[in-house]
Amino acid sequence: MNLDDLTRTSGEWLRGTGSESDIVMCSRIRLARNLATYPFTNRASRGDKAEIEREVRTAIARVDPQLHYLDVHVLNPLDRQFLVERQLISRELMTAEGPRGVAIGPEENVSIMVNEEDHLRLQVMHSGLSLHEVWERINQLDDALEESLDFAFHSQLGYLTACPTNVGTGIRVGVMLHLPALVQSREIEKVFRALHKINLAVRGLYGEGTQAFGDFYQISNQQTLGKSEAETIRTINDIIPQVIEYERRARKELLENRRQNLHDQVSRAYGVLKTAHQISSEETMHLLSSVRMGINLGLIDDLEIPTVNELFIHTQPAHLQKIQGRHLEVDDRNVARAQYLRSRLANGRHQAN
Amino acid sequence: MQCDRCDQQASVHLRESIEGTVREVHYCLECAQRLGVAPLDPAVVLPLESILQKFVLAHLGEIVGELARRRCPCCRISFMEFRSVGRLGCPHDYTAFHQGLVPLLGRAHGATRHVGKRPRRRPTRGPELIQLRTALAAAVAEQDYETAAQLRDAIRDASKDATS
Repeated sequence: MNLDDLTRTSGEWLRGTGSESDIVMCSRIRLARNLATYPFTNRASRGDKAEIEREVRTAIARVDPQLHYLDVHVLNPLDRQFLVERQLISRELMTAEGPRGVAIGPEENVSIMVNEEDHLRLQVMHSGLSLHEVWERINQLDDALEESLDFAFHSQLGYLTACPTNVGTGIRVGVMLHLPALVQSREIEKVFRALHKINLAVRGLYGEGTQAFGDFYQISNQQTLGKSEAETIRTINDIIPQVIEYERRARKELLENRRQNLHDQVSRAYGVLKTAHQISSEETMHLLSSVRMGINLGLIDDLEIPTVNELFIHTQPAHLQKIQGRHLEVDDRNVARAQYLRSRLANGRHQAN
Repeated sequence: MQCDRCDQQASVHLRESIEGTVREVHYCLECAQRLGVAPLDPAVVLPLESILQKFVLAHLGEIVGELARRRCPCCRISFMEFRSVGRLGCPHDYTAFHQGLVPLLGRAHGATRHVGKRPRRRPTRGPELIQLRTALAAAVAEQDYETAAQLRDAIRDASKDATS
């Protein structure tokens, strides 16, 4: 896999297809697994990590030859950052030390991180609200890997993980939602409080501890012990339509009560993105969020959702530098970002790569 | 915020939660030093583990003290080390620290028993292999290559029949 080629494509999860895709960006499930015969990654020696990587890599190749393995420890920092921006590896894997890697599936639906906090972190993503399909795929993958790997398991406590917050099923079920109207109407806080009360977590686009750039929020379970995978998926599947409904209602109210303002805001956002000569990542995310909502509400008709989804990722720092083929400092990135946006948004109907 | 023991401003804030009871304490540096929960002198930096151990021993009684000192026989991590970094050292820790972990799991998950998927394969020699690998890492660090070679042979033999 040539990482430079990826700058011209985007993952399936950005395609904007599938159920409720005007609000749901993608559905994602991850499973944490560890080999029973090694210390956890944080206590493993360099030799142990190399052995773990070898064992897991062999198992992955046997399970699905289409999964492409990348040695993260030999990649340069820009390429690592690039993989984080594409949601294929975590920040933790990016900054970790020693032998580690990631196996990536075609269309970027599947990624298996090796030697992250746990020996294996399996992840499957799909665009739209599609948790059942995602579970089916990841469960199959887990079964297939288990044919040749001994996972650490305790009869009372389930799958054993480095952090006790993941023990049991080791599952995190997450749905990424675009909630600009709830943010504007300031009702988002109410939604968060309700979700926290039922032990669900809300995070930004890039996971734990990140700000919710571009009004994207990831809603996921926190508890992994005492609830089966099916029950965890059901809980999330039951709650997401309610959040979607709140967002739709907030959008409807904005349209009914502040149509002129909303139309102005969306058009200005689109205008700035099409004409600016320097623009920060934060402002880009903010304006793209307005544009995305504008398309879904029929206020912009010459731009496709997949293009906007892709621009959220392709205007990130490492993507810009890979696209430009050179290292860029912040100021230069702001110029390059504006130039890239102008070229992607110039004239007529715009399609995703 | 005022120190719990005198009128000075508190600068050491600790929170410990055992068996469902959360306890917060706030001390000024002087009182914290007297109680052994802060280093005596900035120049003498005690390892975090010993600070926490002192705190736990002073305030939470002997059972916790015994638990705090307990080490996993496989990866050699102590319960206090786990509490200070938040990550366990190996799968066997869940057995070695069962008593300390179960209340913690109960609070975090609202449950202490797994429901859901189970693997078909069950490894039989996990703890033994982790113990050998930990010993190997120590031997390599000490440049004791003779022991390291013996341990590598033992790991190879144990790996052959590690699954039932």
